[in-house]
Amino acid sequence: MVTTLTIRTWLAGGISILLLTGCVPAVPPDLIAAIEAIDQDLVALRAPEAAPEDYTRFAKQWVSLKSRVQTDDDLIRWPWESNDLEHELRQLHGEGWNTVSRLNRLQTTQRQQAESALSRLEARFLSINSHVESIEGRMALGGKPVHTDLLLKQARLFFDQKDYARAIHTAEQAGHALAAQTAVLTQELGRYADHQQVTSWQAIAKQTVDWSRAHQSTAIVVSKAERELTLYKHGRKVLSYPVRLGFNGIKAKRYQGDGATPEGRYRVTDLRGAGQTQFYRALVLDYPNAEDRWRFRVAQKLGTIASTSRIGGQIEIHGRENELMAQTLGCIMLDNADMASLFAQVSTGTPVAIVGALTRENAVALALAQLGDHHTDM
Amino acid sequence: MQLRQITVPLSLAILVAVGCAKPPSEQIDAAEKALKEAQQSGAATYSAEEYAKLEGSLTALRKEVTEQDGKLALFRDYGKVEQLAASAKTEGERVRTDAVKKKDEAKAAALQAQQVAQEAVNSTLALVGKAPVGKDRAALEAIKMDVETLKTSLGQIQTSIDKEDYPAAQSQSKAIHEKSQAVSAEIQGALAKVGKRKSSGAKR
Repeated sequence: MVTTLTIRTWLAGGISILLLTGCVPAVPPDLIAAIEAIDQDLVALRAPEAAPEDYTRFAKQWVSLKSRVQTDDDLIRWPWESNDLEHELRQLHGEGWNTVSRLNRLQTTQRQQAESALSRLEARFLSINSHVESIEGRMALGGKPVHTDLLLKQARLFFDQKDYARAIHTAEQAGHALAAQTAVLTQELGRYADHQQVTSWQAIAKQTVDWSRAHQSTAIVVSKAERELTLYKHGRKVLSYPVRLGFNGIKAKRYQGDGATPEGRYRVTDLRGAGQTQFYRALVLDYPNAEDRWRFRVAQKLGTIASTSRIGGQIEIHGRENELMAQTLGCIMLDNADMASLFAQVSTGTPVAIVGALTRENAVALALAQLGDHHTDM
Repeated sequence: MQLRQITVPLSLAILVAVGCAKPPSEQIDAAEKALKEAQQSGAATYSAEEYAKLEGSLTALRKEVTEQDGKLALFRDYGKVEQLAASAKTEGERVRTDAVKKKDEAKAAALQAQQVAQEAVNSTLALVGKAPVGKDRAALEAIKMDVETLKTSLGQIQTSIDKEDYPAAQSQSKAIHEKSQAVSAEIQGALAKVGKRKSSGAKR
């Protein structure tokens, strides 16, 4: 009797234990939730774009396993039975987690890379602009600074949108544009750093000063790089005045309307006092002279200047028309007080030498050298 | 004898019925077509996450078909295949619709940004039109060159739109708009400096 009861008790207990252990779900719900969380992380990390192959593999497997999870939902398995589905889900979870970690690292690296490249380029762009402004070489660059600026702005927009890959790519384009900008500047203004050219300018200035000494007369020398006009009397330096040039004054004048200030040996042909000029006093120069005309004809024949272009004229050394006027169309402009002083000391026939620079270490050459250094730093 | 007479034909009938189970080709083709159409609609770009999962559904479907095909004819059951195919087809259509919608939204946003940039450049060009002539124009020559570059840059937005690269079109538009506003402010500053006087025209 006792034996029968004991057997029954043992049987009931065993069945209950079996039922309890066998009722566990086919796949632990927290595992499903964990994979769903991984999926959300991958989406938040833009995995479909940043790691398309990895994400597609993950998604394919996830969809496939999810479908099996739904099918196996009503299955009861014994604890000692192997569970392939759970094993595969755990494997997928591990792979997904690895991808999330890798993407996190990649995103951090890309963000740092983009931020570093952008900051460096933005600083360099500002620095170049500052140098260009200081030598008034903006016109020489044409539309290049705007092009570079637009690319930098686009790169910054991509960065703000956390699209670091695209921000890096656009920053690289901006870097190339900046390099092209520096190359154009060197090409256009490289003559200021050319020793032979500077020597030639020095010779022109010296001849003018020598003439002043020989003829016991006055002479004017203008250095475009230093924005300075020097008055010589009997071969001796008397006064120096700061000047403004044309809006493209740093370049050598080639044709009418280019905004450049001519370079060469000229003479004052007329003195215009109050009421005779729109400016406060003006000294009219004999631009274009024979050499200018010859250069212009050659350039037209070579096709570097359009056949419809004109050589221009009315190049003057003048005062301001109004106090806010900052640049000219190619003339040399002085403050009115300086102009009054100069006007009183020159006469018709006074020689005027306009040169690019008088020293090898001129402002433009130094600015170009600094830009070169920056370029090497990149 | 009577039992045998009934059992044999019945078994044969069951065998024929079960043994003739074939994959639901039409439904599978419809699901594959839905995937292809979703891909052609740009889903891989505009609904990348959904599209990847759709590809997953198709992979599961193909796997199930292969699994059933590998079984003995008597044991083949394409019920789950039918279910998966129907679900993939519905999902494919949804992903396609979603991608088309997102693409249209991206295009609309890019076109709107393009218009804003265009208007900003036009407004800057109008300001340049007010610039003085003669000697005073010197102050604005460099700025005018910038405006011309901005005008040319507008073409790049259209190129990106034509290539359906709407994020690029949007960023280009925003950059042009921003730069255009900066240039406008610079022109206004320069105009204020040179005043409204008209100078005599001069060569040089």
